[in-house]
Amino acid sequence: MVRLNYDVIVVGGGPAGMAAAITCARAGLDTILLERGRFAGAKNLFGGVVYTASVLSLVPDLFSASRLPFERPVTEEGWWILSQDGVVKITHTNATLRESPPRAFTAFRAKFDAWLAKQAQKAGVLVVPKVRVIDLLIKDNFVCGVQTDRTASWDDHRPAQVKAPVVILAEGVNRILSIKAGLVPRDFSPKEVALSVKEVLQLPKGELESRFGLQKDTGLAVELLGEASLGLPGTGFLYTNTSCLSLGVGLFLIDYATHNIKPYALLEHLKRHPVLAPLLAEAETLEYGAHLIPEWGFFGLAKLCGNGVLAVGDAVGLVNPLFREGTNLAIYSGILAGKAAIYAHKKGNFGYHTLRLYEEALKDSYIYQDLRYFRKLKTFLQQNKSFFQTYPYLLNEVLHLYLTAQGRAKQEVFKEICQLIRKQRGVTGLLGDFVRAMKFLKGW
Amino acid sequence: MAARALPEVNIDDKVFTLKYYVDEQKSHLSLRDPGLCLKCAQKPCLSFCPVGVYRLDAQGQVVVGYQACVECGSCRVACPLHNIKWDYPRGGYGVAYKFG
Ligand SMILES: Cc1cc2nc3c(=O)[nH]c(=O)nc-3n(C[C@H](O)[C@H](O)[C@H](O)COP(=O)(O)OP(=O)(O)OC[C@H]3O[C@@H](n4cnc5c(N)ncnc54)[C@H](O)[C@@H]3O)c2cc1C
Ligand code: SF4
Ligand code: SF4
Repeated sequence: MVRLNYDVIVVGGGPAGMAAAITCARAGLDTILLERGRFAGAKNLFGGVVYTASVLSLVPDLFSASRLPFERPVTEEGWWILSQDGVVKITHTNATLRESPPRAFTAFRAKFDAWLAKQAQKAGVLVVPKVRVIDLLIKDNFVCGVQTDRTASWDDHRPAQVKAPVVILAEGVNRILSIKAGLVPRDFSPKEVALSVKEVLQLPKGELESRFGLQKDTGLAVELLGEASLGLPGTGFLYTNTSCLSLGVGLFLIDYATHNIKPYALLEHLKRHPVLAPLLAEAETLEYGAHLIPEWGFFGLAKLCGNGVLAVGDAVGLVNPLFREGTNLAIYSGILAGKAAIYAHKKGNFGYHTLRLYEEALKDSYIYQDLRYFRKLKTFLQQNKSFFQTYPYLLNEVLHLYLTAQGRAKQEVFKEICQLIRKQRGVTGLLGDFVRAMKFLKGW
Repeated sequence: MAARALPEVNIDDKVFTLKYYVDEQKSHLSLRDPGLCLKCAQKPCLSFCPVGVYRLDAQGQVVVGYQACVECGSCRVACPLHNIKWDYPRGGYGVAYKFG
């Protein structure tokens, strides 16, 4: 590190940090981004689907690039609801989803984040990988810089300190520095995060297209429910990339501990599911990996800023698991935080009351509205077990009875279906679940 | 949850697909008090760690194979006795995803 004073320091080179840094640098602020990985993206893993609109809001000339940082367009989406040996598939596609440019793409973080880093460099950001921020410099209640794990120079072995009047924390789900900055009172608990594992699977040449019915410019992204999570709150996912698949599954961290579930055994169980196994035949694992997802939601939300400091993306907890939003919220929050940093530099004041511009903008946005709206999601999922434990299996059984009813008196079949529902959930249970689901969806 | 026998998986085969730059000088993970693990009945770290960093040795003591860690942060919060001293590896070290 050559120089040690900047206008803005961004900690973390994921989409949130890159968005913040790019926004600041484009406004002429002297911006440094510190990333602990060997390159931006090296430490990151997601499903994953990125939404074009969010990338365009940061890189408007995205489609003028000769090579896009994505895999396949997502043209068909939905759910595969698994029982122990069967599936009910609900997926959707239409002409709009196949229009160009696609509204969403599958991607890999090691490539996407590294591409964002290139955009950041083009915008004038000094991107410094292989540097970990170990502490914040705090003076008179103001965050005024960071302490890194690099030595200051060849002959000065003390850890280098980098100073700036604004520090943007984009450290991701393990919000260690945010706690140090006083933005969150405590660490998260194992009930407040999901742990996901994923494999990138290479199929024999041409098999991806033939097994999933894909053309060159179409792609499938489905969430896997029911048996994927063993009937526990959680989901799996299957996304098609250019020439390979991303397959993963996640549960609340607490549930691995409580039920003694090994994440990789859970994933292997999914791979051997009778519906998935033939789709994955002869697949070779190119890479395995794991990552946490913040699910603390509205009630566990961090303070968004303080004196000289702003927090963005996963560090705050900006994800919406129901709608698979995370990278886009990271980018939007990064841009908003960047704008607040620019405003603070214009005013020459870096206190909370100036940086609050970010808090206000985020609170006005759909991101915050959604967080509020879904504030009871985690509790809802953890308390209404039947949505994972009963309905996926019941749905499979009911449909099976209906679809194999030929040659039988239909009244008898319907009676059997009703009995099945009564036995597995009961009429009161069913009605209760319905009311609770409606209440939840109405945001009560 | 209905009881299911999940398949046995050799996690080393999965870890083998990952690229690491191991910091040979310093482990970023350690047990604060190895003796405390003997009092931990369930030992959830043996389950939840996605790469099997925590294992039992022949004497039944928990050992930490930090080299395989993918830095997810789970053991930072899920050890019931808060017996794991957790840190990220030094900048540039640890896992480096090729895909992610
Ligand atoms: C399994 C899984 C599937 C997902 N699927 C999707 C999906 O399909 N679509 C979607 O939109 N979102 C998805 N998400 C969510 C999405 O990945 C995140 O919301 C998003 O990456 C958050 O971006 P971020 O920049 O806030 O954090 P991160 O991407 O986690 O970036 C944080 C960065 O900070 C660095 N860092 C941390 N601490 C330090 C430090 N002390 N010093 C220096 N650097 C540091 C890290 O190395 C990392 O590069 C998924 C997540 C997971 C885990
Ligand atoms: S969970 Fe914690 S205390 Fe228990 S065995 Fe593992 S490291 Fe030791
Ligand atoms: S951080 Fe994650 S991968 Fe590393 S040892 Fe802990 S649980 Fe295992």
